[in-house]
Amino acid sequence: MTHSFFGGVYPATRKASTRRKPLAPLSPAPEEVAIPLLMCADGLSAPLVKPGDRVLLGQPIARRAGGGAAAHASVSGRVTAVENCPHPWGGVSPAIVIRNDGREAPWEEIPQPLTTREVSLTLLTQRVEEAGIVGMGGGGAPIWEKLDQAAGRVDTLIINAAECQPYVTADHRLLLERGKYILRGAELLSRCLGASRTVLVTEGDKLNAVESVEHRRLVRGGTVRLCTVRTRYPLGAEKQIIQTVTGREVPPGGSPLDVKCVVFNLATVYAIQDAVFRGRSLTHRAVTVTGGAVSRPRNLWVPIGTSLRCLLENCGGLREPADLMLTGGPMMGIPQDSLDTPVIKDTNCLVCLTNLERRPEQSGSVCIRCGKCVAACPMHLAPTFARQALEQHDLARLSKLHLEDCISCGCCSYICPAQIPLVDRVRQARQALERGGFEI
Amino acid sequence: MNQIFAPSYLPPQLRQSATTRAMMADVMIALVPALGMAVYFFGPRVLALCAVSITACVFFEWLYRRLTHQSNPIGDLSACVTGLLLALSLPVSSPYWIPVLGGAFGIVVVKQFYGGVGKNFMNPALGGRMLAATFPMLMTNWPQPLQWLPLLGVDAVSAPTPLSYLHEGVLPPQGLDLLFLGDRGGCMGEVSAFALLLGFVYLLLRRVISARIPLAYLGTAAALCLIFYPAGVNPLVWTAYQLLSGGLLMGAIFFATDPATTPVTPRGQLMFGVGCGLLTMLLRYCGSYPEGVGWAILTMNCMVWLLDRLGMPRRFGVSPFTVTRRWLDGIRDSLLEIKFVRPRFPAGLAGLREGRAPGEVYLDTIRSHVKTFAPLFLLLAGTCGLLTGLHLLTELDSARAELSQHQALLSQVMPQADSSSETPYRANGAMSIQAGYTDEGELVGYCVEVQSHGFSGVITMVVGVNLNGEVTGVAVTSHNETSSIGTRAMTPEALSRYVGMSGTIRSSGDNSVDAVAGATATSRAITAGVNRALAIVANLDTEGVDEYADGQP
Repeated sequence: MTHSFFGGVYPATRKASTRRKPLAPLSPAPEEVAIPLLMCADGLSAPLVKPGDRVLLGQPIARRAGGGAAAHASVSGRVTAVENCPHPWGGVSPAIVIRNDGREAPWEEIPQPLTTREVSLTLLTQRVEEAGIVGMGGGGAPIWEKLDQAAGRVDTLIINAAECQPYVTADHRLLLERGKYILRGAELLSRCLGASRTVLVTEGDKLNAVESVEHRRLVRGGTVRLCTVRTRYPLGAEKQIIQTVTGREVPPGGSPLDVKCVVFNLATVYAIQDAVFRGRSLTHRAVTVTGGAVSRPRNLWVPIGTSLRCLLENCGGLREPADLMLTGGPMMGIPQDSLDTPVIKDTNCLVCLTNLERRPEQSGSVCIRCGKCVAACPMHLAPTFARQALEQHDLARLSKLHLEDCISCGCCSYICPAQIPLVDRVRQARQALERGGFEI
Repeated sequence: MNQIFAPSYLPPQLRQSATTRAMMADVMIALVPALGMAVYFFGPRVLALCAVSITACVFFEWLYRRLTHQSNPIGDLSACVTGLLLALSLPVSSPYWIPVLGGAFGIVVVKQFYGGVGKNFMNPALGGRMLAATFPMLMTNWPQPLQWLPLLGVDAVSAPTPLSYLHEGVLPPQGLDLLFLGDRGGCMGEVSAFALLLGFVYLLLRRVISARIPLAYLGTAAALCLIFYPAGVNPLVWTAYQLLSGGLLMGAIFFATDPATTPVTPRGQLMFGVGCGLLTMLLRYCGSYPEGVGWAILTMNCMVWLLDRLGMPRRFGVSPFTVTRRWLDGIRDSLLEIKFVRPRFPAGLAGLREGRAPGEVYLDTIRSHVKTFAPLFLLLAGTCGLLTGLHLLTELDSARAELSQHQALLSQVMPQADSSSETPYRANGAMSIQAGYTDEGELVGYCVEVQSHGFSGVITMVVGVNLNGEVTGVAVTSHNETSSIGTRAMTPEALSRYVGMSGTIRSSGDNSVDAVAGATATSRAITAGVNRALAIVANLDTEGVDEYADGQP
């Protein structure tokens, strides 16, 4: 693949501490899990159980109700409450709290496992919807809708295993340990969607996983192509990965379907094939617990709903007080202030940063017009002009800067030598444009 | 369920380590090799000048911010960088007040008046340097390398720089290797291309600057050198000399990459570099001053706002084809906006109905206007006429005077000729060569204006030489000799002794003119000048020049 996207930054990857650690199950299993009803960008789902009910591992406990996604018990035990608890996206959300009995008794009425020949698009979509699979790379888009829209309209299926954010290695381990299943899942998706080529995109910092997949591909054959790209942030962003693979640019305000592409996260593909070939619902996912403040950074195979506290306990706790804890990678992740926050379907890591690693910003510095933010913006924006126009309250200029294209990747803030929070400036500018004025 | 989440920490949670201060420190580190080479070639005076310059810049920055009650960001080291760059762009013989003056101008006027770091539109160090260039005597005094100058009391010993040779269209005597290492005259920091390139590599590796501007700059300059080179010179060698001499490398690496005064957008940066290269070579080839880097960069600095607009990145997802089409559509729309309005005559025929001639109603208005403006107009016309007349008269007078003076000179140096005219011939040592003609238009000989060093200063003389190579007359047009001593050698009698001589005139023996007693030095000087004129005419290459024709029969 000879294409490349413009801009980007090269943060230190800092993946060395976890890249060799296999995905391990939680060894003190969580005492209780809190499965939020908000897991999908669509909205809330409706609970199927009430406090006091006994649930088994994999049993449906919530269903779609206009919006939302199906949810399943990730442990077996008794429902103690349906109550508000902190949500990783911020704020609070109602959640089904299940006390774990430690027996992991499985739900028996799982759907019939299918073979590749039996699967049709409708069956695939139905299974994905029943299994409650949402986008697992962040954002939580409903996958069944994406499948439905993409069927027959794409020529390129992209499996995103880039994992371009520093620290995160969950997808790396998943690809290395379960590559066989991922290739199967990719071929299944490719066949159902009618894509003429399927590309698995990885970055150069996980060459052992690339090698293992390549080996399997050579031995077993298959239609999935591998594409290994030099590590650069934000390769994993949807528009950038499409540009890297195909050279096509998603038009402003458009979706990947406009350029005949569809992108699935690696973990999502794994969950899809699990649901189709083994009838399992989405109850567990890979999570990396890392950062300078964690005693023993690890990759864990975690039941959805486990609290962040339990994750930290599994990693030996904090070695030193963490300056900042966040889920979802340090470039785009969301800071968490409560350890009771549960893991949800798009939580791929928990990073606990020390003060030294974070380099807190020093405000009060002025722009020196170095232009690094313009050269780093993968969406061809000029953040420093947005900042200037915002300071000068120049709406006419702001409206010409195409700020609605911003994907909030944070490259501009990262690279700025004057340490100006440019992402935030751009966001303020967009708000001002939406309101049509600068009043607070 | 979209709860507004107001994070106390904004993404991203990681930042690169290079702050403004670290970038400035990196620039200073990148200048260390150049500074070291400057000290090696020009001695410890370099360090003293740098110290003075940095101190002055930091002091003025601090003072201005203090006096205007603003925050004091001298900790970001930008003033130190300005000071160091300013010092390194001066010749080592500059007096110590030059960097102080340049620093005050650069920091206060160029930088702080526009709001301080990041808001200035011109490079402060270059602004200060170019202010210093208004003292051309001090700023074109290039000491020889490896002659260490004393810290105090510098006497001006100037050596030609490679660039002054290039400006004349010839290659300098130094080899390219010496030029690369820096064994040449020039500003302190610019002499060693090797040290500057080391700094460039360091800045690139540290990602302080991008290579766009320097490469576009040097590439444009090199391309122009390869296209336009003097005859008889290998274009590659010529290009290498042009790139290595003068301040081109230093300008491209350190002055044209100053973040505040260069475009922000990548495409704008490329255009900036190309513009700098074009202007530099234009100034070097067509300017009267050998160097053009400073003015080129300052000029492009003033165009940054325009380049920023031109260089805005293409919107993601919009193909270049669409961009071009939209642009053309925009032009078509604005052209369509132009409406052609049929001219309307204000007079009309309205007055006819009342039995008056067309336009009669306007007569009163016109009359009053004439009354108001006629005296003014007459006054103006009178003054203009007067001035023109005076000018014509004086011009005729001065032209006549000049002509008669010219004729007098001609009759003195070449009595056989009746008129003379400029020739296209050029020779080393001759200030002008005129051809003398008789009334019939027959070429008599050449009048050569030469200079020679007399007892006190330069003697300018015109020597007439006929086609046989014999002197027809000598006239001294200007001199500084002592009157009644040196001038004894310039009396018509003394000068007439040269008439009819040819070949090389000696001071004694065969073919000699004796020195006038008491004016030996002056006599020798005149003899030397006559000899030079004879040699020039003898070696005059009339073949290499096209036939001269300007109406002479």
